[in-house]
Amino acid sequence: MARQRHHYRRRTRGSSELDMTTFLNLMVVLVPFLLITAVFSRITIVELSLPSSNSGSAPTEASFRVEVIVRAGELELTNGTAVIATIPKVDGEYDLDKLSELVMSLKRDHPDTDDASVLLEPDIAYDNLIRVMDVVRSAQLPGADEDTSTRVALFTDIAVGDAP
Amino acid sequence: MAVGINLTSLMDVFTILVFFLLVNSASTEVLETPKRITLPDSVVEEKPRETVVIFISPTEVTVQGELVVQVADIQRTSAQNIASIGDRLAMLSENIIGFNTKMVAESHEVTILADKSVPFSVVKKVMSTCTSQGYGRISLAVLQRAPETSET
Repeated sequence: MARQRHHYRRRTRGSSELDMTTFLNLMVVLVPFLLITAVFSRITIVELSLPSSNSGSAPTEASFRVEVIVRAGELELTNGTAVIATIPKVDGEYDLDKLSELVMSLKRDHPDTDDASVLLEPDIAYDNLIRVMDVVRSAQLPGADEDTSTRVALFTDIAVGDAP
Repeated sequence: MAVGINLTSLMDVFTILVFFLLVNSASTEVLETPKRITLPDSVVEEKPRETVVIFISPTEVTVQGELVVQVADIQRTSAQNIASIGDRLAMLSENIIGFNTKMVAESHEVTILADKSVPFSVVKKVMSTCTSQGYGRISLAVLQRAPETSET
């Protein structure tokens, strides 16, 4: 049967091969071009919940509110009124693991609260804001092995402001 | 007997690669990766939208692709709002040229791409300028980091 087909094609085209040279040329050019322009680092966004207008809006009283104050030498965790914990820097880096633990225990006590504030001193680098926000927003729960570890949301509505 | 190289499998690979790359590049053109600034990493997964884009590099601030003010000037002023950024934002919402700009201006959203090392005071002044100009929703752009698998 294959033999028959071969005969048929040869009769009509004269050549049994499809000439793909031009198509191949196109591909050879397109692949490197697309590879170069391809973006492999994906940008995502963190949405902020900002107080309606300028700074200095008074926080609503008496409600529980997680506040993380990033100071030059330490992290301070407060519940809106009183300081819960002060976490000093370890080796020049903020101790984010400790903060994560404390924030998780706070979430356990107040499962319905979603609001949190990250307050920074003026000279703190922007990178630290994002890292602290990451910790407050969610935490990685270790599972039985690496594949089963899950990420849980903690305080997802994060406002940003100046440290008092 | 002329023996041609059999290119069928190569063609298969190329065809699949081309389609993959075409789809990949078409879907992520909302924000191009900036070359001059290094964004912080984060684990958030939200996709960027079409918004007004503010770049804050270690030295200067650009709003929607136009250089507006130097970072050093921002640090020097004590005012919470930066007039030049405010003017540029107001201009953006008034003079709308082109469909793309229209969509961007009507979203009333700002995406801030700031370098890792920019001090918070600068970012905060830029943010408060945005809110005072009516751009109420502010997003901070970050590079997506794969959720770290605990290395133990």
